[in-house]
Amino acid sequence: MKINLKSCRFITFVFFAALLWIPSGPLHAQQIRVITTIPDLADIAKQIGKELVSVESLARGVEFMHAVPVRPSFVPKLNQADLFVLMGLDMEISWVPALLEVASNARILPGQPGYIDCSAGVNVLEVPTRIDRSEGDLHPKGNPHYNLDPSNGRIMAQNIAEGLSRNFPQHRQTFEQNLKTYLAELNRWMPRWEEMAAPLRGTKIVTYHLEWSYFAKRFGLEQVGFIEIKPGIEPTPNHLVNLAQKMKQEKAQLVIYGPQSDRFPRRLASETGAKALKLPDMVGGEPAADSYIKMIDYNIRTMVGAVKGS
Amino acid sequence: MELLKHNLLVLLASIVFCSATFVPRLVFGQDAAIEAVKRQLAEVEKLLKGALERIDQLEKEKTASSAKLGQVEQSVKAVQSAPSALNPAIGMAIDATAEHRAKVGGDFNFRAAELGLAASIDPFARAFSFINASKEGVELEEATIVTTSLPWNLTARAGRLFADFGRLPKFHEHELPFVNAPLSLERMVGGESKADGAELAYLFPTPFFLQGTFGGYNKIGEENERVDDTKSRSWSRFTYLGRLHTYFDLTDNHSIELGSSLAYTPSFRAPGDVFGSDRTLSGVDLTYRYQPLDSTLYQGFTWGTELFANSERVERPEDLRKRRIALGGYSYGEVKLNRNWSTGFLFDYAPSIDSPGKKTYGYSPFLTWNLSEFNRLRFQYSFLDDKVRDDKAERGHQFFLQWTTVLGAHTHGFRTR
Repeated sequence: MKINLKSCRFITFVFFAALLWIPSGPLHAQQIRVITTIPDLADIAKQIGKELVSVESLARGVEFMHAVPVRPSFVPKLNQADLFVLMGLDMEISWVPALLEVASNARILPGQPGYIDCSAGVNVLEVPTRIDRSEGDLHPKGNPHYNLDPSNGRIMAQNIAEGLSRNFPQHRQTFEQNLKTYLAELNRWMPRWEEMAAPLRGTKIVTYHLEWSYFAKRFGLEQVGFIEIKPGIEPTPNHLVNLAQKMKQEKAQLVIYGPQSDRFPRRLASETGAKALKLPDMVGGEPAADSYIKMIDYNIRTMVGAVKGS
Repeated sequence: MELLKHNLLVLLASIVFCSATFVPRLVFGQDAAIEAVKRQLAEVEKLLKGALERIDQLEKEKTASSAKLGQVEQSVKAVQSAPSALNPAIGMAIDATAEHRAKVGGDFNFRAAELGLAASIDPFARAFSFINASKEGVELEEATIVTTSLPWNLTARAGRLFADFGRLPKFHEHELPFVNAPLSLERMVGGESKADGAELAYLFPTPFFLQGTFGGYNKIGEENERVDDTKSRSWSRFTYLGRLHTYFDLTDNHSIELGSSLAYTPSFRAPGDVFGSDRTLSGVDLTYRYQPLDSTLYQGFTWGTELFANSERVERPEDLRKRRIALGGYSYGEVKLNRNWSTGFLFDYAPSIDSPGKKTYGYSPFLTWNLSEFNRLRFQYSFLDDKVRDDKAERGHQFFLQWTTVLGAHTHGFRTR
């Protein structure tokens, strides 16, 4: 068969011209496009923006938030975003910078108005005094898992509302009203959670990673050890033996893990009589934790249930 | 604060209840007294309303002050780090191997101490550089300026860079999933796609990832000795590149990445070739990944394949128009066994670019132990069925133990993810 070169060229031209006209994603003609790194921020952004925004989270609740794969499918989403909302404190350091590098969207680069760092105003815990990789894969700016303390939910909501208003001042009143409503809802839950979590006060726990420090501080739990030797470093057999001994001495009741393997938590639990608990550290980590408020509620209920049952 | 609110509401309710229960009995018919009680109630209500508003106000102030405190703390930290804040991020990768080749014996091979620097230049561009020291000397591998805010989804890069050809040609050797770069890549591309030149990338405004790159370079390929790029010469002797690169999530856990590249040199003269001709190096790369969302840390599979085709005319007395075409490529699979361990197998098919009839087949199983994100040991066995080299050094059984570490900041970005 003889190939007509002119036809080939024409087809190629039409193909690329068509690509240029393909709308990028669903058409949200009037909506503000908000991309968040984790589902917690997406849920809160939706509460603040309501029908004015379309919101999507890059990571899913079941993923390990420090190790989300750099998927090129995130790039078009970031390219089209009006706002990019992230946790900050270097929590997304392993995957977000590489994406922003190719997203071709100057609006959402660090320092630009469309870049909303929700850690602003958070009372950061565990800021390292010694920054050295011998301390593991640490975060120089402090522990970034502040989303697990519901009082930080207020700060996240305020930062998002402020970011939305800064970029779209014509809707400031709506965002402020929605923020007020959301904060009022959080405020209604807070005393309930405090009351529910009363049995957790003084409970000694071991966690896989450093995710639960903010939660522990808020509700008075005591972290007596970590499965990881240092942040991001898997345990050695010796470390596990020592940790089991410490758990027995301290009478630790819970071993909490999230997206990590259940192998070590279950082993420690069976050796010490503690309970191994898998808990979501992000919205969507469990089907019942499909909103920020439900996630906090789920975590408290599950922990209280485990402590009362032990 | 919440407790205070709650107490005030209880107090209000109690007053209302007491009033409703006792007052009518005591002062029934005594209108004046009732009026007085009503006034008192109204006053209490007013007081309570004021108190609740004050509580709301205090809450707002408290949150605002904690936000301000956070900002002040950040400013203090910024001032404290100001003297070094503008320094680029600095890191170094160290890569060393212990090797044994059946035909030639052993070697401790210090392959690289790669110093990396990266920083923003201004609001419009950033730059990075990698300087590699090895037993062969010190060499500038990359020194690249990259724009950050060009309009129309464009990104420009210039300087010494790894040209956007294929997938693994853009990886520094210590970043590869196995010990050595595939021989097919070494022979056809010339190793890493190092080039002096400039390129422009365009991100298509499509709902899926699609990127196109166009570039022009002195030459492509770190070990490409066939072109002398040290002298000024006709623009027809430069290499021009086009690449299309796309990616699809097949499901939440499965994805596929596809790229096609074409490097065209309009006027190329191979060593010993009197007349010269054009040269076309093309490549197709395909990467399949299985990355289960809920256990990316522990499980995963990558299958990567690249095929290269080199086409150039050679001087032949019998047919001056005859083109010499060499086809080669590699394919590998790597399975993540748990958070620290992975294993895989590399198959390599590498023809000689000058004598495509001569080929090398390579078979290399490998095992990787990631002690941490920045510290890695790898063992690899290779069997090379080599018909290309005369010295036989690369034939037969080979064993490698590689130790790679990274200190400080070190990243090569999106292309080598």
